[in-house]
Amino acid sequence: MNKIPLVIQREYLTRVKKPSFWILTLVVPILIAAIYAIPIVLASRPLEHANVLVVDDSGLFQGQFVSGRDITYFDAGSLDYAKRQLNENDSLDAIVYIPARETTLPSDAYLYYRTDAPSVTVQGDVNNQLQKILRNVILQDVHGISAEDYALITSTSIKLRTQDIETGRDGFLQIKLIVGALLAILVFMAVFMFGSQVMRGVMEEKTSRIVEVIVCSVKPFQLMMGKVVGIGLVGLTQFALWVVLSGIALGGLRITNDGLFQQAQSRHVTEISTKGTEATNQYQAAQYQAAQYEAGMGVDNDIQDLIEGLGSINFGMLIVLFVFYFVFGYLLYASLFAAAGSLVDNETDSQQFTLPMTIPLILSILLMPAMVNEPSGALSTWLSIIPFTSPVAMLFRIPFGVPIWQVVLSMVLLLATFPLCIWAAAKIYRTAILRYGQKTTWKDVGRFLRMGR
Amino acid sequence: MLYINHISKTFGDFSALNDVNLHVSRGTVFGLLGPNGAGKTTLIRIINHIIRPDSGQLIFDGHPMSDEDVVRIGYLPEERGLYKKMKVGEQAVYLARLKGLDKDTAERRLHEWFDRLDIDSWWNRKVEELSKGMQQKVQFVVTVLHEPQLLIFDEPFSGFDPVNADILKREILRLKSQGSTIIFSTHNMPSAEELCDEIALINHSEVVLSGPLAEIKAQHPGQDLDRIFIETVTGKTSNNQAI
Repeated sequence: MNKIPLVIQREYLTRVKKPSFWILTLVVPILIAAIYAIPIVLASRPLEHANVLVVDDSGLFQGQFVSGRDITYFDAGSLDYAKRQLNENDSLDAIVYIPARETTLPSDAYLYYRTDAPSVTVQGDVNNQLQKILRNVILQDVHGISAEDYALITSTSIKLRTQDIETGRDGFLQIKLIVGALLAILVFMAVFMFGSQVMRGVMEEKTSRIVEVIVCSVKPFQLMMGKVVGIGLVGLTQFALWVVLSGIALGGLRITNDGLFQQAQSRHVTEISTKGTEATNQYQAAQYQAAQYEAGMGVDNDIQDLIEGLGSINFGMLIVLFVFYFVFGYLLYASLFAAAGSLVDNETDSQQFTLPMTIPLILSILLMPAMVNEPSGALSTWLSIIPFTSPVAMLFRIPFGVPIWQVVLSMVLLLATFPLCIWAAAKIYRTAILRYGQKTTWKDVGRFLRMGR
Repeated sequence: MLYINHISKTFGDFSALNDVNLHVSRGTVFGLLGPNGAGKTTLIRIINHIIRPDSGQLIFDGHPMSDEDVVRIGYLPEERGLYKKMKVGEQAVYLARLKGLDKDTAERRLHEWFDRLDIDSWWNRKVEELSKGMQQKVQFVVTVLHEPQLLIFDEPFSGFDPVNADILKREILRLKSQGSTIIFSTHNMPSAEELCDEIALINHSEVVLSGPLAEIKAQHPGQDLDRIFIETVTGKTSNNQAI
């Protein structure tokens, strides 16, 4: 009688019933939702307002600093007067001081403060404004460029697009890189995580000695396969729940946060436009135009690129291949983890076996930066065909487009290798699982492989 | 019930069993005695088809023993354990189902047994909360639950306190009276003397003494089983008790 389904059922149910399974299942979608929500919440939260005095001995920056939502600038005649004000008036936060130079343009400026250093935002804003004003002075006063030309210069940018010469389609290399790397890392972590669960499960059976009771009802091979398959199903369940729950969490966030997000955005826009009309100086108006252009159009373009880039990836094929490489990569390594678990009595000893056997897996992650440079190069091609590295390497390459013969070859080799791994693991397992209290070496492993029953 | 014919087994250079021949009659309690490392556990594992002998044959119930016959054996190993995190009832049902019982029958019989041994209130507790003696009771019940014709107990009394050991002895004799055949291996000579109809003494992978307990005792007048054991194993005749 085949008892594998019964073993699978136990392995699956005992794990899915554990609180730790549900904690992990809930934590990941919450993390994903947090990564999405935190920037929105931060953007809509008003920062503490800062008041900054400007003392300009050079005469170039007078009246040029532009106050914003979080920072207000005041011109303040002499440095001595400003210092007195800073000491006496609690609502003032800092002084920007630009000393005069006799022949050249200013090259240094100072930010004075009392007890509390100004925030990074204030420092950054002061620095940006200094640079812009100085550049403006050089272009307008020294080279005689008009405000309109200045706005054009600052708002102009050029984007490099990679395109296929035959189809004329965009390459979207960066987006493909991110998708490929995410898939590769996901498979790597899943194989490691659920593989070591198999190992711990085997060790639990060995150290608690229950294995001897069970192997007289079930063949060791059935026990091992039941455990490997059961835990693999736990992994697939967890993935499915992650996808569904993350979708629900993100969907819910979008609905509740839409108001908040729009509020933040519209306030930003109103502020810019009111400030824009208030601005008396032509340069300031131009600068606001440029800022608006950057903020609005730039972001829109990026999002459009992202959507187009994602659209250029064949997701149907990606999902099919992800499931394929996860399932068979897992079966390959999980059976090895099971063999390693049967060889030892505690987790510390297990490293001598798990470390060498997971080297290909770790190598395929470590070599990813090299593969980034040439997704179709010799290194990438070989790694994605060799069965022990292909689950990670091939998934990394898929978004870039892989010749169909390489995908087929890689899949066939993986399909041919995993039964060999399971066979070898089962041979080691059935002998080692009943050996207690003896230190096992690699020499013993070789002996177990040659040994009959 | 069981004929063990010319069984040999070696592990590398080490000979664990050398041409072992034994016959276990139906409805008897058969004691498998011998010092540590003599080969008792290897023989028991071969009977359970956990390991395969290098040569020799097992005849079970009149035919060469097959894998299907293993479900008709109940085996309580010396090194025994349970899943610590699993609930008692759930685990017992699982082990019974592995032996081929359906879920309802397993639950019904388990409640009967647990009632008799006074552990039914532990059904929903985790195994790790149980004392060692209680765990042993659970293991004993799981061993006999599928009503096997042949029962094999490897050092059943190790870890039992005297009260529980006595309960276990009563249960073994009750199973015998219901027609089960029982093989049990032990170091504990008084309990072997108390329970066994026949014995076999294994030393250094060979059977050095076997037969009905009464006959063996008759051949060694005035000696208890402990003394017979020591003399056979060490090969020395002690004159001490003649004095």
